[in-house]
Amino acid sequence: MTQLTFRDTRDYVAIDVDKGIDHRTGKLVHADAEAPEGYERLAKCKFCKHYQAEDASNGCCTAAAPAFAAYGDMIAITCEDFTAVH
Amino acid sequence: MARTFKEVLSEAGISMDFEAGGKAPAALTDREIQREPHERVKYLKERYMEALSSINNEFPYWYTREYMRNDLELPVVRRALALKAAFSHLTPAIYPQELLTMRKGPFVRGSFAMPWLTNSFFLAQGDALYQAAMKSGSASAGEHSKFGAGGGNVTQSFGNVVSVAGKFGVRQEEVGILVKLAHMWQDKSVEQISNRYERMVPGYDIKEQVMRSLVCMFDSGFTLPQGREVINYYYPLEYGFDGIVRMCEEKMAECAGDAGGDGMVGTNRLYNYYAVKLVIEGVQKWIENYAAEARRLSGVTPDKQQSAEYAAMADRLQHIAHHQPRTFIEALQMVETLHIAVVNEDAISGMSVGRLGQVLYPWFEQDIAAGRITEDEVLELLEQDRILKTSIDPFASTGVVGGVLSGNSFNTLSVGGVNRRGESAVNRLEYLILEAGVRNAMPQSTIALHYDERLPEDFLLLAMDVIKSGAGYPAFMNNDVAEQFFMQHYACENITLEEARAWSIGGCLESQPGVWKTIHLNGKSYEVPGGACQPTSVGIHFLAMPKILELTLFNGVDQRTKAQVYPPHNRKLESYEEVWDQFKLYWQLSCKVLELCNNLQHDIWRKNNMAVFNSMLKPGCLDSGHLINELGYRFNATYNVESCGTVTWVNSMAALKKLVFEEKQFTLDEVREAMSKNFGFKTAHEVNSFSISDQQKREDDDGRFNRLHFALLQAPKYGNDDKAADEVLLEWENWFCDDCANYQSLYAKPMYACQISVSTHGAQGSATCATPDGRLAGTTYADASMSAYPGTDRNGPFALLSSATVWDHSMSQNSQMNVKIHPTAIRGPEGSKKLLDLIRAYMRKGGFHIQFNVVDTKVLRDAQAHPENYRDLMVRVAGFTQYWVEIGKSVQDELIARTEYEGF
Repeated sequence: MTQLTFRDTRDYVAIDVDKGIDHRTGKLVHADAEAPEGYERLAKCKFCKHYQAEDASNGCCTAAAPAFAAYGDMIAITCEDFTAVH
Repeated sequence: MARTFKEVLSEAGISMDFEAGGKAPAALTDREIQREPHERVKYLKERYMEALSSINNEFPYWYTREYMRNDLELPVVRRALALKAAFSHLTPAIYPQELLTMRKGPFVRGSFAMPWLTNSFFLAQGDALYQAAMKSGSASAGEHSKFGAGGGNVTQSFGNVVSVAGKFGVRQEEVGILVKLAHMWQDKSVEQISNRYERMVPGYDIKEQVMRSLVCMFDSGFTLPQGREVINYYYPLEYGFDGIVRMCEEKMAECAGDAGGDGMVGTNRLYNYYAVKLVIEGVQKWIENYAAEARRLSGVTPDKQQSAEYAAMADRLQHIAHHQPRTFIEALQMVETLHIAVVNEDAISGMSVGRLGQVLYPWFEQDIAAGRITEDEVLELLEQDRILKTSIDPFASTGVVGGVLSGNSFNTLSVGGVNRRGESAVNRLEYLILEAGVRNAMPQSTIALHYDERLPEDFLLLAMDVIKSGAGYPAFMNNDVAEQFFMQHYACENITLEEARAWSIGGCLESQPGVWKTIHLNGKSYEVPGGACQPTSVGIHFLAMPKILELTLFNGVDQRTKAQVYPPHNRKLESYEEVWDQFKLYWQLSCKVLELCNNLQHDIWRKNNMAVFNSMLKPGCLDSGHLINELGYRFNATYNVESCGTVTWVNSMAALKKLVFEEKQFTLDEVREAMSKNFGFKTAHEVNSFSISDQQKREDDDGRFNRLHFALLQAPKYGNDDKAADEVLLEWENWFCDDCANYQSLYAKPMYACQISVSTHGAQGSATCATPDGRLAGTTYADASMSAYPGTDRNGPFALLSSATVWDHSMSQNSQMNVKIHPTAIRGPEGSKKLLDLIRAYMRKGGFHIQFNVVDTKVLRDAQAHPENYRDLMVRVAGFTQYWVEIGKSVQDELIARTEYEGF
């Protein structure tokens, strides 16, 4: 499994599009920096079985018919249909 | 080296000092009053200061997905379903140490686009954004632009971040969906639908020209359809969300299929109540998502105190998602939540909080009495409230966010004023609000103090301390003048004196009447004021008076673009009266076509994008079952005509009157030629300064315009208690304030005058050629509507106040006066009293608004040269306070040039 970046973890809260806070340490971290091992993966469309990728960033959601455009990076912790892929 | 404007004047022996009443000390002088916030607030403020304005697509994604799914639903229900989906899916973002939470998006300064309103920018910029997104990702984080330059503005793309409109940053992974969503609204957005119908308005081509030439600054129907209004928090504070849902269900049962005596929209009440219920359910889910996140954080946070704070936060959020708040902190959290819900529902700037200290007083009084909270703890919360309010970043078009708003959101908080019976309304909580404004000086909430002779002296002196801190607030607003205006203008809606007394400021200084409602808390009753008006960000926006004068003098031709903006008048303009008459005709031509086009824009908005949540808050929508689009608000006559550049125009007309038409020293042709040649100077854009004092002579200038230019500069100027100029102002105001009633809003109500400039005096000055007062091409107009032009007010501040009050301010929604004072001029307790005396003098003369920049001009110059050293420097511009580093150069230059009073 590839190492997660901070912005793909549940332990990170974004201050802005570039940086945020690591809740575990309270430290300011860069969004795209690699998170330490053991950090929990954040629910995002790209980690959901209903997401079908069309390119690196975009795809569609097949949770409901008809399928609707989606993007892999969207946080999905509030989505009732999110189903994690492992 | 080219000679500057100041040097040219000096060589000619002409004094145009930018200092008055003495000489400023040679050394940089800091502000006298400086206090520190609580440690917790310091930490949170640091997070704000390092945060970039950021957008993402959560809200627009879920809104669009749900909206498109329900294409057979009724418009109001379809919109409510979309809003419910959007609120329900927002990701909660909670930061360590905060006690109050919830925000627009999952960032400190989060925001998002609303392509259902306007999508042309993304359709036009799609390719460029894609290219920027493709390039990004290859750069390292080390290439990050400095935080200091531009504050939180993302002026350039970097790393994996793409700059949108030079203001917001978006992740490169989200650019694709951003553009795709804009395409989904192709031909469906308010902007595009209304444009199809606007073209049917006779004279639409003039409207296009008026917009291109910057005679008018912006359209509001699809940029900021709401705002510059006072919110009302009453219903959720009194009944809780569950109570309102029950109310809606009961009303739905009453109204289903019943016309209620109204054959046009009576049956709509069922759908409206249903829509309100749906949106509330979405907002409740949003709050509960935050509660769940706080609970989760409490469980995983090792620090015991922090864990306990998260748990308490979760409890508060869970409670206010359903019920009336129990404590002060719950009431304040409820207010934060409601505020953000409203500014998420629509593109809004200037959603003002109103008289918050009076609204929250019931909880404050009872918590203090019961020992549940201390005043110091309240102060800490009020300090944190300032961070949350300042973090609200409105998202609209570039021209509006930058050129008009300077990125400001105008969440003005009002203090003072009188209660329903006409007695002073000041309470202890309002003292703490002022104190928090000093300790945590941030742009929001800007504070408006409703001045009345009955307010306590120690309260007013505390306000002087706040002003001396350099925060740019509180602005002083005249309670009596405001009430007089309401009683006249809202007579068509049967306003009462009690409703006039419930007024607050919405936006910069857009005054609005309100209503009184009764809060019941633990067996005790409290009367609280709150907003009850439609927006005032609507109507005819910022007509540039000097630009229309330029077009008058040049037969309708724009001297910058050479376009024929208005039909040629072909008049010889042989008298002052003829110039004045033609100016009025062009003014009215602009107003008429803009009235019709803007009415259409707002009509399209109200049919598909009506406010549901905001309507629920405003009396008496819940009573009548009609939302904003069906005249559900208590007051609907809020559309206005906004002017810009008043004093530059007054000075220009006064100069023409005296030198061309009375004394005949010069011909109008000579003035026109000199204007078109910019009096032998380079343009402001060539010099890259928009201040009059920095302008430079052309190297090839032969001096042939000098005599004329010097004479124009020395002609009578507003701000000196000089009748020759002040009578021009009086004539204008008497005509303008009456003329506004000739235009009618889509709600069939007469319009009124609104005299603020926000930041438009910079943008519109930039597009205007030299003017007959001696102002040079491209330079910024005089600020606001009653501020003097830089360097021209030579007889002291009391003369300035006399000039400003030759007319009756109660004819207008507002007027606006900003004065720059050196910190040493008002130092110590005596200085405070002098400042209060000055304000009192203006209020007693009938002035509506006055506010101060207490700052050393040398500090501003240093800040312009070294912005990285001044991230937290705040200044007052027109009717708002903003971080120096986040305002445009044209406005910065005007502030530097503005006359600095060294003593009075």
